[in-house]
Amino acid sequence: MPENIYEARMAGCTLTGALSVACFIPGAVAVVHAPQGCVHQTFSILHAMANESDLWTVPEILVSDISDREVIFGGEERLSATLDTAAAKKPDLIVVVTSCVPETIGDDCGVICSRHPYADRIVYVPTSGFLGGSAKDGENAVLEALATHAPVREPVPGTVALIGEKNLESEADQNYAEVERLLNRLGLRVTVRFCRNCDYATLMQLGTAACFILRDDRAADAGKRIGERFGRPVISEFPHGLSGCLTFLRAAGEACGVVEERIAAAIAEETAYQGSMLEKFANLSGTAVFLGAEPFTGTAEVAREAIARLDMQESTDGFSIRLPFYLPIGTAGVEKMLYLWRRTVNNG
Amino acid sequence: MAENNCANPVWPCAMTGAAATLAGFPDLCVILHGSSGCYYYPRSLLKVPLFSTYLLESEIVFGTIDRLHAVVTEIASTGKPVAVVNTCVPALTGEDLKTAFSEETAMFVDAPGFCGNAEEGAAKAFAAMMPDIAADRSGVNIDGINLLDLFWRGNLHETERLLVLLGIPVAVRFCRDTWKNLQAGAAPVTISANPSYASGVGEYLGSMLFLDIPKTVDRLLTLFPNIDAEVVLAERQQVEEQMFYSCDKYLRKYTPPVVAVAAQESYAVFAKAMMERYFGSDVPVVFARDRAAASVPYSVNSAEINAKIAAAEPDLILGSTFEAAACRHAAFFGITPPDRSRISVAARPLAGVEGGLMLIEGALNALMNAHTAEGKKQ
Repeated sequence: MPENIYEARMAGCTLTGALSVACFIPGAVAVVHAPQGCVHQTFSILHAMANESDLWTVPEILVSDISDREVIFGGEERLSATLDTAAAKKPDLIVVVTSCVPETIGDDCGVICSRHPYADRIVYVPTSGFLGGSAKDGENAVLEALATHAPVREPVPGTVALIGEKNLESEADQNYAEVERLLNRLGLRVTVRFCRNCDYATLMQLGTAACFILRDDRAADAGKRIGERFGRPVISEFPHGLSGCLTFLRAAGEACGVVEERIAAAIAEETAYQGSMLEKFANLSGTAVFLGAEPFTGTAEVAREAIARLDMQESTDGFSIRLPFYLPIGTAGVEKMLYLWRRTVNNG
Repeated sequence: MAENNCANPVWPCAMTGAAATLAGFPDLCVILHGSSGCYYYPRSLLKVPLFSTYLLESEIVFGTIDRLHAVVTEIASTGKPVAVVNTCVPALTGEDLKTAFSEETAMFVDAPGFCGNAEEGAAKAFAAMMPDIAADRSGVNIDGINLLDLFWRGNLHETERLLVLLGIPVAVRFCRDTWKNLQAGAAPVTISANPSYASGVGEYLGSMLFLDIPKTVDRLLTLFPNIDAEVVLAERQQVEEQMFYSCDKYLRKYTPPVVAVAAQESYAVFAKAMMERYFGSDVPVVFARDRAAASVPYSVNSAEINAKIAAAEPDLILGSTFEAAACRHAAFFGITPPDRSRISVAARPLAGVEGGLMLIEGALNALMNAHTAEGKKQ
């Protein structure tokens, strides 16, 4: 739970967070013990996101449909029946999450899941809606629960697992591509995206990764425990900012045991790449810009580094440019931000 | 019981419906008594100011009355009227939430999500409003305006336009009006732009959906014998000829489209009848989101709806992009939310004379675009 009471109040529902992970496992079925309306909300978000990505496919979420009757007489039968429906599909995995309603009426969901004939393929995560914390807590709970099913293995050198990608952000795959590009400079490859479009069998290879990279501190709770479970180094976030990319290369290289020469070469290559990228924006040199409010912690720092590298100035009289809502990931993220700045400067 | 399971439910809960109904009065402050997770969805969907108590787990344990009292008191201090919409967990814990404020301070709508769908929530909001009928209030009320409806603004404008043509003043618009106007009392009679959102206020004279207009105007004539009915009926007649002309042109080239419909019951029945009348369509699949009707089953189960639609191999889907996404080869025109196939910011009607045209025009363009795309592919 966030320590700040304002943040706690605004922190969203565990269900949305949990489903943002559980719905991105091909071959798995998400079961939600809740009233229909709760799942409609998440389904609508997934639909909107799929539409923006032109994917047009939305994972199936089964809901037990708690109504007045279950509120009075209990909802365990409904959960059991929904599990039957899910099991009939013979999925690789059933992820069960709960809303605040079964928590309040006292349904013993854990027992229902553990006694079900499909129990060995059921991962029960008692998210309990807002009674179980925030959307972030929901994400972490599912990540952690799934990780406990993955066996501890010997690490395979040169492999990396990504943990806690933000499946609901529209540029998730672009961010992944940028991280993959940087890791390739070190000769590293991503073997598991935990959990983004990786099937159950792939997720269970989590323990073979030599290093874990978290999307950001939103996944820190799960990342810490997963790192401890498998005894692997954990890099706390995707790279942001120009110098952040170079720092990331060193950290990832060292975490995976890449030799120093290779790390140094990768950093030199990326430095040259950043230089050529910045040349495209040379006409911004000398331009004054006004950054305004910082929508996401760290974006101003990334922006100020770019301002310095391009010999721009920061001034309240300058062009008012809008900072990106999320931290720009990698060199590509900075490049996209600069395109927006250039549009503003060139067109007023 | 397993047959009642639902996959990817396509319709919002009662709390959302109640909030959408009350938020139609911009001078009424609507507070959702629940967590931020419950608040974010209606707030993002309705795009109007809403308040929340943003409940924490600790407040559920120790009681939410103090928190509700504090939020209501602060918002009521603005002098604006206040409505409180209850959500699932505070509805279950047994607190007497009405003790958090006086009846004069705020109105209480107990519409937890588990109690039903958006229409049931809307009905609870209407029941809590209990608008008085002012026997001496002239004109008619417009019903069926709800912020959840893709066409609410267009429907309101179009229904008002038709009433102006008829020479009948508008009393109260349920729900897009001022709270102050509602307090002046509703007129004794009501017409609707979308009967699925029924206020139940006054004597219901009928809907203004295109096919219902003649009957509704007839009923209005009995109460308002001096209105100029002919101007509206003549316009409707002219538009109908245009519809037959446009559809005839289409049917010279193509066979009648097989159509699948999924929408609220009122729009579903309307869309089916329109496609049968003007295209001679076969409409083998019709689903209602809110309630079953004669030959129209109810379902909010996306898996069930999409399976039936896929089996029917329709040429055209009139529904939401939930259905369109599952049947990409079919032409699509959105008549129920969400419609993510297009940017929808202008006021488009589905009710009234223009609404009839909008449906036929939308269907024709969608079908023609699909034929063009198919031709290019070949």
